[in-house]
Amino acid sequence: MTEQNPLAEGAESDRRAPPCVLVVFGASGDLTTRKLMPALAELADGRRLPAAFCVVGVARTEMADEDFQARMLADMDKPSAAWESLVSGFRYVAGDYSHPDTFAALKRVLAEVHAARGTGGNVVYYLATPPQVFGEVAAALAAEGMSKPEDDGSFVRIVIEKPYGRDLGSARELDAQMHASFDESQIYRIDHYLGKETVQNVLALRFANAIFEPIWNRRYVDHVQITVAESLGVGHRGSFYEGAGALRDIVQNHVLQVLALTLMEPPATIDAQGIRDEKVKALRAVDILSVDEVGNEVVRGQYDRGWVEGGEVPAYREEEGVAADSRTETYMAMRMQVDNWRWAGVPFYVRTGKRLPKRYTEVAMEFHDVPHLPFGRKDTRGLGPNALVLRIQPDEGITLRFGAKVPGQAFRVRSTSMDFSYGAAFMEETPEAYERLLLDAMVGDPTLFIRTDEVEQAWRIVDPILEAFADPSFPVAHYQAGTWGPREADRLLDRDGRRWRSP
Amino acid sequence: MAEPVTELGSWRGEQVKVGQVLDALADLRRRSPMGATRTSVVNLVVVARTGDAADRAAAAIAGLGGRHPGRTLMLVPAGSGSGSNGDSGDKVDASVSLLGSEVEGHDVWSEQVTLSVGRAMAHHTDSLIEPFTLPDLPVVVWFVSDLPLADDPVLRSADVVLVDSKVLGDVGAFPRIAELSRRHIVVDLSWGRLRPWRELAAGLFDGRAFAPFVTRVRHVDVTGKEGPRHLLAGWLASRLELPRSAFSLSPARHVSLALAAEGASFEVAREDGKRSVRASASVDGGPSHTDVLTLPDASLPWSLADALTRLERDRVWEQALRGALVFAPAGGP
Ligand SMILES: NC(=O)c1ccc[n+]([C@@H]2O[C@H](COP(=O)([O-])OP(=O)(O)OC[C@H]3O[C@@H](n4cnc5c(N)ncnc54)[C@H](OP(=O)(O)O)[C@@H]3O)[C@@H](O)[C@H]2O)c1
Repeated sequence: MTEQNPLAEGAESDRRAPPCVLVVFGASGDLTTRKLMPALAELADGRRLPAAFCVVGVARTEMADEDFQARMLADMDKPSAAWESLVSGFRYVAGDYSHPDTFAALKRVLAEVHAARGTGGNVVYYLATPPQVFGEVAAALAAEGMSKPEDDGSFVRIVIEKPYGRDLGSARELDAQMHASFDESQIYRIDHYLGKETVQNVLALRFANAIFEPIWNRRYVDHVQITVAESLGVGHRGSFYEGAGALRDIVQNHVLQVLALTLMEPPATIDAQGIRDEKVKALRAVDILSVDEVGNEVVRGQYDRGWVEGGEVPAYREEEGVAADSRTETYMAMRMQVDNWRWAGVPFYVRTGKRLPKRYTEVAMEFHDVPHLPFGRKDTRGLGPNALVLRIQPDEGITLRFGAKVPGQAFRVRSTSMDFSYGAAFMEETPEAYERLLLDAMVGDPTLFIRTDEVEQAWRIVDPILEAFADPSFPVAHYQAGTWGPREADRLLDRDGRRWRSP
Repeated sequence: MAEPVTELGSWRGEQVKVGQVLDALADLRRRSPMGATRTSVVNLVVVARTGDAADRAAAAIAGLGGRHPGRTLMLVPAGSGSGSNGDSGDKVDASVSLLGSEVEGHDVWSEQVTLSVGRAMAHHTDSLIEPFTLPDLPVVVWFVSDLPLADDPVLRSADVVLVDSKVLGDVGAFPRIAELSRRHIVVDLSWGRLRPWRELAAGLFDGRAFAPFVTRVRHVDVTGKEGPRHLLAGWLASRLELPRSAFSLSPARHVSLALAAEGASFEVAREDGKRSVRASASVDGGPSHTDVLTLPDASLPWSLADALTRLERDRVWEQALRGALVFAPAGGP
């Protein structure tokens, strides 16, 4: 920003987007209507968008500006006055990404918008299209000279959605395509999990408190369990999911991101470089399995029919768009080891699945037992080891399990849990993940986006598992929908003398 | 915003000692069906000098729903509520209730204590407050109906003082509020209600195309009721370093701002018949933009909840208040 605005002094909305244009490719699609527009509407209502702001939608579907505006209004339940006013300025460009005319038209529209609204040449491109066209769009933008900012302090950024490739090789290929047109510093790779308050709160909890970090290591932690459970099945996305599976869809990105935040060393500064450097280091310390080890450390599962949340649901193989003999995993559990001073010898058990009993995500640290319990055996029957649980969704908060004396004459000790809930403690509404991330991209804060080396490290961990799964003899364990996964997953912990938590 | 609040338990005692009230509180908590832990974020002390003010404050606090859970201590003068109006040494009439509500699926509770303070105690109210404050949490004192004297003992316990300049007499009260703010952190509910206008006005100058004009404002028209228009004028005068002569203030039902700069004009005004405010900027022969904002709920619970999230010194408000004094007609409003 060139001049200081004395009127903005002391304003609470310190995080406000600067004047800019948001160009959404694939603006006719599901992500745009279901996630991006509601997030923008929230930002508008929360005074996070500048007055000089515009959305330009791009897609192949033919629409006039007015059609696009009508659609963006119709998809909102109760549009606010701010949203109506904002949408009335939206523009739309129809065209095929393989055709240079599309980009020439977009360039014209952008010039018009900058001149009429004072958006100052600032642009954020958002690729809400299927990933196969990411490279094409990036190249076309570069060819029209639209991928780099003018030399006047303006910015041009590009946001891309997962998946970033299907494996290490294709991820590198995608990166090469993106880097041919944009600098890494312009690229914002979204993992919406990082936009969640509680995921960020892992950092606050660890690095703003003196009492947690000292016990955040092998000396005190017995093991860690990370659960990312969904109650939904694949719905209409069966054919997409067939090509993905839980490993690509959840583990490679969300689970490994949460893991990285749990594992990482304290950064010198909570900023983009500080955090991302430490995350990369953490992922680098994760022990990479050999293809032969995968069978022993990883359980691959798929749901059969069952009952979830009171309704009967079909088996995965009966879902629309899914092959009757599909071997795609809808569930995965694995044991991971981390080779560094902090974590050597502490197993990290990770599980994720669809059609589990409920939607639930948590990171749970189970601590060692006390070296000696000075109580009688029968007095400590209800006592488990201490646990610190970071609940990520749906009910965001922190639970600490500890032993307390049961009131009465006897010295009986039982586990109790102390529960902190975000909603209850703070008046501020928790922003939705996309709200946070869209604003970050406009503000230019890449802290919660994935850097290229993180993507690469994540694929390094996942690649051998993909390779093992590709072997038709690799077992697929079936589980009934509405249960916590196949028995094989229980055995993964049984043999270490542990059990999955029941969230 | 407000979630329904239910009373989980209550207790009442006439001419009781503080210790008995504290026991009653502990007892209510023990018997509560809700979880064994609580989240508390604030001690709110409410000073209401009339029964009417006490009722308004109580309604606002109930309207917080589960937000800002903590302990509220309401001090009302003996005789204004029910119960005896006796004035017997260290005894008070007290009522205590435990309120529960749900926020995002979580049980939250708050405690509300009302004490009627007799004349004998009036000079030592701080000694009544201390026993009731939850440790480690800020003590916010809300003067609902009138401003404290400089030596009001309640101020000794206060980390933050809440006032509502509108209720206290607007411009007439500004000098005393300004005085109070020299020695205490003061948060003015009326200032919070003006935030939409301030934010919209600030947003008009965002971006390279509009930013340069912020130093080229030559004339400002401000309309609105007395308090708001003076506060906003004081704010603009202090921020933009403009002389009094650059301003025209006129009374109106709704607030509006019009800033004329060299080569551009800027406006913030309520939309006709709607609960929304429109801001527009237009550079002569250049870009223009408009911004619309739906006004938040204007209720007292909203203002209170909002103020409780901003418990810190606000220099911009302090300067606006001092600036407003310049516009006040000599000898009062
Ligand atoms: N939906 C979600 O919740 C979600 C969650 C996480 C990540 N993502 C990612 O976000 C991106 C968009 O997701 P989405 O669900 O919105 O996808 P989508 O609805 O299938 O596609 C978005 C739009 O892209 C256009 N499109 C489709 N196929 C195309 C092709 N072959 N070439 C060019 N354009 C094509 C379509 O518009 P036109 O036909 O009008 O051009 C479509 O409306 C994807 O990369 C997806 O992986 C989505």
